[in-house]
Amino acid sequence: MNHIELTEQSRNDTTVQMPPAIRLSGVGKSFANGSQRIEVLKDINLIVPPQSIVGLIGVSGSGKSTLLNIISGILKPDRGQVCICGAASEEFNEWASVSYVFQDDRLLPWRTAIRNVEFALESGSITKQERAQRALQALRLVELESFKDAFPYQLSGGMRSRVALARSLVTEPRILLMDEPFSRLDAQTRGLMHEELLRIYQLKRMTVVFVTHDVAEAVLLADQVAVMSPRPGTVREVVNIAPARPRDITQPEVTSYMQQLRALI
Amino acid sequence: MAKPSEAIDDNSLAQPISRRLRVDLIGQRLALVVAVVGIWWLSSLKVPHYILPGPTRVWDALRLIVANGDLWNNLAITLWRVTVGFVVAALVGLPLGIVLGANKRAGEFFEPVIPVLNTVSSAIWAIFAIIWFGISNATTIFVVFMTAMPLIITNVWQGTRTVNADFIELAQVLRMPQRKVMTKIYLPTILPYFFSGARLAFGFSWRVSLVAETIGSSSGVGYRLRQAADLIRTDQVFAWTLTLVVMMATIEMGMMKPLENYLFRWKKDAETQ
Repeated sequence: MNHIELTEQSRNDTTVQMPPAIRLSGVGKSFANGSQRIEVLKDINLIVPPQSIVGLIGVSGSGKSTLLNIISGILKPDRGQVCICGAASEEFNEWASVSYVFQDDRLLPWRTAIRNVEFALESGSITKQERAQRALQALRLVELESFKDAFPYQLSGGMRSRVALARSLVTEPRILLMDEPFSRLDAQTRGLMHEELLRIYQLKRMTVVFVTHDVAEAVLLADQVAVMSPRPGTVREVVNIAPARPRDITQPEVTSYMQQLRALI
Repeated sequence: MAKPSEAIDDNSLAQPISRRLRVDLIGQRLALVVAVVGIWWLSSLKVPHYILPGPTRVWDALRLIVANGDLWNNLAITLWRVTVGFVVAALVGLPLGIVLGANKRAGEFFEPVIPVLNTVSSAIWAIFAIIWFGISNATTIFVVFMTAMPLIITNVWQGTRTVNADFIELAQVLRMPQRKVMTKIYLPTILPYFFSGARLAFGFSWRVSLVAETIGSSSGVGYRLRQAADLIRTDQVFAWTLTLVVMMATIEMGMMKPLENYLFRWKKDAETQ
């Protein structure tokens, strides 16, 4: 065993020893539909390494969004455990450590861009001055500082998405959950948002879990892609995406991963 | 990516167009006023002055009530009564509308009450008010209150139905306490509805205050109107009416409209798009 292999080995060891950002064990969830119950998630086991990007992919109705809502704490699982950095999600008092990005931007139309970003800080007891300052920093991060006083109707779709991203980043989250975040944008703007997200990820190094139905999006962004089976949803397979980012859809490696994932869904 | 300045450019482009439209509009309005006064003057030439006084006679009557202080005293009294009745109606109507909208059972239970209140004529409220309060300020205030309150409740109630569930979910994800959800999501959503209800109610308040004052008061514009009519001083009736119209228009255009424009500047302006 040569020297290089040894260092490689030891690096792997530290990765294993670091506690996962998110650990799901035996998570199950069903919903009542009239008199019958529909099992949406069944025995989900998933480990999300810290500071990694994990994509959740599957056909619609496989419970991807439900799983994300369980991780975020919006929904409680019927069975199993959700561990976030060692704390059970329903009792983590550090509300700021997990952020959620919705499918749509959900900007409050009566607030300017900066006031929308500030909204994420208004649950706690942060002073008005500090809120404004941090919101401005977050807008700077998404390069929208000069539009801080614009109302949502004055912004384009991509700009609104960036304000929403700034709103989820302003709390300095350790975990960023995204539910088909850019699915409502046109292809070109979506590509720019991918670059934006990866740029911010390089800076902040948070853990990202995103749901998508777009195989290309999953392969372009993720370190790992968890493929979910149709209802009741389980994690069918976790695929490691090896090539270094930024990736391009024309790279043969990338296309072969896309084919592999398509076959798994 | 779409040009960042795109949407904002749209607005700045719309500006000169609306200004030109405004100049046009002022011209039209002036022409209308001239026409109305002209017809009024011509008609008054052939009719006895106690049926239809001419513009000059009304102008003299107006100068008289301005000079002896009648105008300001009575306008102030009426304005004060309307404001008190209206403010109390808003203070009661806003929370009641929110409660009825937020609580489904309460809303269903009380739903028939509002249309019933709305169908009771203001004149009937005035008669009740005289029985209960006699000739006093309270009579007019009560009538204004009973007219304005159902209007405000109805509008606020409608507003609560438009609260976006997605925004509530956003607040929940951010672990926002219920009290803050009320002030930061419910209230801004309801405010435009409250405001349009309040504007409507304020206009109604003026009208019904006069009805109340003609039968249940010994001061105020309504009382003066009846007095002038009893003495067949038609010129004074016209003078009071003109004053009222000018005052209502001033409040509407000078206060309500600018306030609305400021409060709801976040709304996409349908006319400039």
